[in-house]
Amino acid sequence: MTLDQIILQLLTSLQLGAVFVLVALGLTLIFGTLGIANFAHGALYLIGAYVGLVISNSIGWPWALVIVPAILFLVGIIFDRVLLQFFYKRDVTDQILVTFGLALMVQETMRWIFGGTTQSFDVPRWARRRINLGDYIPGAESIYYPPSRLIMIGVAILAVVALFALLRYTKFGLMVRAGMRDPEMVRYLGIDSTRLFTIVVGLGAMFAGLAAVINGPVFGIDPGEGMLRLVPAFLVVVIGGMGSISGAVVAGLLLGFATTLTTASPFPQYSEVIVYFIAVVVLSIRPRGIFGMKGVG
Amino acid sequence: MKFFTTDSDAREWVIMIVAGLFFLSLQWFLPLIGGYADLAKLMLVFAILVLGFDLFVGLTGYLSFGHAIFWGCGAYVAGFILANLTSNALVAILIAAVIVTIIAFLVGLITLRRQGIYFSILTLAFGEMFFFLAIAPLTKWTNGDNGYTGAEDVHINIFGWPLEHGNLYYFLVFMAVLCLFLARQIRRSPYGLMLRAIKSNETRLTYTGIDIFKYKVMAFTISGCFGAIAGALFLIHEKFVPVESLRWTTSGEVVIMAVIGGVGTLFGPMIGAGIVLYLENVLSGETGQWLLILGAIFMSFVIFLPGGVMDIPRRLMKLGRGNKQNGQSDQNGQGS
Amino acid sequence: MANSNDKAKGNAKKGISRRNFLKGAAGVASAFAVGNQLGIGGIHNLARAQDYPALGNYPVTGDVVLGLNFPQTGPYSDEGADEFRAYQLAIKHLNGEGDGGMMNTMQPSALTGEGILGKKVTFVTGDTETNSAASRDSARRLIERDKAIMITGGSSSGVAIAVQGLCQEAKVLFMAALTHSNDTTGSDRKRYGFRYFFNTEMSGRALGGLLANEYGADRRAYHLTADYTWGWSQLRSMQEYTEQEGWTTENNILTPITTKDFSPQLTQVLNSDADTLVLNFYGQNMVDSLTQAVDFGMRERTVNGKDFQIVVPLYSRLMASGAKDNIEGIFGTMNWSYKLQDEGSQAFTNSFVEEYGTPPSQAAHTSYVQTLLYADACERAGTFYPPEVIRALEDHSVAGVGPGVCDYRGSDHQAFHDVLVVKGKPESARDDDNDLLEIVDQVDKSVLVYEDGAVDLPDRPGDLGPYGDEA
Repeated sequence: MTLDQIILQLLTSLQLGAVFVLVALGLTLIFGTLGIANFAHGALYLIGAYVGLVISNSIGWPWALVIVPAILFLVGIIFDRVLLQFFYKRDVTDQILVTFGLALMVQETMRWIFGGTTQSFDVPRWARRRINLGDYIPGAESIYYPPSRLIMIGVAILAVVALFALLRYTKFGLMVRAGMRDPEMVRYLGIDSTRLFTIVVGLGAMFAGLAAVINGPVFGIDPGEGMLRLVPAFLVVVIGGMGSISGAVVAGLLLGFATTLTTASPFPQYSEVIVYFIAVVVLSIRPRGIFGMKGVG
Repeated sequence: MKFFTTDSDAREWVIMIVAGLFFLSLQWFLPLIGGYADLAKLMLVFAILVLGFDLFVGLTGYLSFGHAIFWGCGAYVAGFILANLTSNALVAILIAAVIVTIIAFLVGLITLRRQGIYFSILTLAFGEMFFFLAIAPLTKWTNGDNGYTGAEDVHINIFGWPLEHGNLYYFLVFMAVLCLFLARQIRRSPYGLMLRAIKSNETRLTYTGIDIFKYKVMAFTISGCFGAIAGALFLIHEKFVPVESLRWTTSGEVVIMAVIGGVGTLFGPMIGAGIVLYLENVLSGETGQWLLILGAIFMSFVIFLPGGVMDIPRRLMKLGRGNKQNGQSDQNGQGS
Repeated sequence: MANSNDKAKGNAKKGISRRNFLKGAAGVASAFAVGNQLGIGGIHNLARAQDYPALGNYPVTGDVVLGLNFPQTGPYSDEGADEFRAYQLAIKHLNGEGDGGMMNTMQPSALTGEGILGKKVTFVTGDTETNSAASRDSARRLIERDKAIMITGGSSSGVAIAVQGLCQEAKVLFMAALTHSNDTTGSDRKRYGFRYFFNTEMSGRALGGLLANEYGADRRAYHLTADYTWGWSQLRSMQEYTEQEGWTTENNILTPITTKDFSPQLTQVLNSDADTLVLNFYGQNMVDSLTQAVDFGMRERTVNGKDFQIVVPLYSRLMASGAKDNIEGIFGTMNWSYKLQDEGSQAFTNSFVEEYGTPPSQAAHTSYVQTLLYADACERAGTFYPPEVIRALEDHSVAGVGPGVCDYRGSDHQAFHDVLVVKGKPESARDDDNDLLEIVDQVDKSVLVYEDGAVDLPDRPGDLGPYGDEA
């Protein structure tokens, strides 16, 4: 293998990992804080994608990148106030059922409005231009890589760093982390946990929206996409350890590399199965996931 | 509702006869409300699947999103047997049940090490793994996306008694009643009692030193066996297996059926299966938005009527009595 | 099953149909009765010429109900909508409304414009959801509850094969619409199923020579293939007919049809020596893989001094419009195009445009033709009795429903007719949104005909099964 080929393989694996991680970030954040497995996370993604579609096909994709996360933050807050808050104390089963039902309804509503066919985003010309990474990397010659996918990798890294910073260096982050460790304690400390939870759900939705806008130009959007993204995102979360951001990053990258390597192997038809296979193996050996805290679940 | 839970053998027989007559009447009743006779067969088959689902979920409180595995594998295995080994339906059902029970046992061993949410997600992941295996690497056997057609020309029978049309219907009624009977027996048994104890307080039970993991795996395995029987019956009815049988959509449908019918009531989920299939097959002819309607119905049940259809009579009665203990039993109106 | 006796009967029927045609609508019924007595199978048929035993949804009481089973939701709902338009148009024409469309160009034709066999034609619809389970459920409803005498529609091979099997069992004819897999009339062929659409074998035969002419005889092809039977057979025929021209196959990657991100596969292509990429994908798979391949700069790529090329064996309007300007200059095949200048295609296109304002897709064309051919077969058979209608369709030849003459082969129920090689148009050269592909070549039927059984899966030879009236 030449250097060019290795770099291309690496980039592809990173990009696949970035997609996994971006969708999983919001999911793991909500789970870690509220203890709720949000089956409607795919629905939030779906809303983000269709709002993004409308915005980028009218005023341009870069706008969507800014506006959609903001809108989804609001959607998340409404989602929490109108529905989720009433299920904080309900049975785990009820939480799953109600978010699952919502996911179904959002999916069908989107199908009603936008039709079942895949819609593609209008992407600015510069994102479609072919650039040679070989010009920037010493020792490499010609690596042509789509800018839209470089953006995926870039935004995923930024999102992870931003979330880390938020949790580590702000008061809000401190509260969230405290809530993750011991929800009871937070309440005793007199922190308004309801408001905290609402903002966390908003943030989770925001990340779903961000993922949708980043994925849109490459994959387009159809109503089935929400569930399609949700299941692997769940895998990333449970492999990494529920509620662990670094776990999600590691798990996402693991699955990204596994997919790429399987495609290059003599058994490329296993490229989708491998993700589930890894999940089963990891969880059989280490049920709480790679970075999962002891005692959770 | 009291009638349905009283532990007397005589009542048990009455219930079975009533259920049997009810199942039998479907073929005449359905065409009157825009359905058709064959839809009744599909309802009976799904009813067995959801019954098995309820036997596990209703008793343990663990929400499985992977019952498509048993249904799909049961159908495929029965298909292979009928296409290659024998045209005797009983043999096919038996072998499918045995093989899938082993699968269920293994899946249970892995997934049941986690509780609550983890279990749901793990079963979902397992289901998707089976689906992706069937649709790509195993296409040679499953015929992938085209669906399995291998048993299409087999004259399926039971020791020479052709299992077609009317015969098949009566056989399905018999199987549905038999499965309902077995399920109720299991629930009435000390073993079922133990499971219900697990549901009400798993942590407390752990301290008593009882190996609850063993009980859960057993429940999951039995549930899988019901799913396999249903899957095999589906194959016998359809002579075809769509690969979507293994997908989360099927598992999700089972969950929806059980919730609408009333989780933990055994008979309720069977009714739920009928309601959902009716909507799916009749309403879809009227409107393209039938799934949205189904979703709305499902949501309404989860939010307002967690006890499902089976809870309606109790609620009405309570309403009639001028509800004194209002909302007290709404916690999770299951296991009535 | 197709023994010499059956064939003779079929031929006799053809004689009758010609006579019917000459006598016109007035004497259909009586001519049929007389014809039967003259035919070779006469004595056999005489006994039941008037009333056949009940079979499937025969006899027809009241109006003729056609079961239209097409995707109303799901990824192919746009194609489904176009099929539905075509069905409604065909039913209008059969009932003598509108300008008649292809009824004026079809030769021979026994159609009267007064419904089928004097009965008014109506329809009921079902939603296949592009899902084989749902499509069987809806077909069952159309057959059992709505008493459809014929089922038609579908936009994928999975659905076609699933519904076809059900129809065989229910003894109701199935006139398939969009299905391109060899299996539909190969390993999974059914006595009650008929396909007008072409298949992967024909696509390979149509493309092979032309690709060698355009791109040279020493190309190294990299195949990406959807991992199911359609993909495999598309791969097999593309490999066979390009290698025949001197191409070599660098590698092939089987890809699950649920794939959305093709970057791992495309990375393998980029890291190889291949100078041509063949995308054996259908529907959204094709749109995604092609768009992403273009994003990876493959159009501007040169390998060993040759311009890198991409080939898409099967095109449809949905796929072409989904892939936008990425289709520019890319070759593929189609069953039919509204730009065809023959009489039949024009007649259909004109009345479709008149009715709906947009030109029909190949899905619409196939649906329309299948409906008319079924109606014509009933008229020629003089009955709705399915076995007789099947015999009327088997080995029937008809002109004026597209370019050239279309032959329905009796032994596998595959129609043979000219198909098209097309090339994606650059955005600047398009007249409107529908003008996506230009016709490069109309490939003659004689090039496409393959030996019956040649495309069956090796371990599963096809068998049509019984007519349903065997003693």
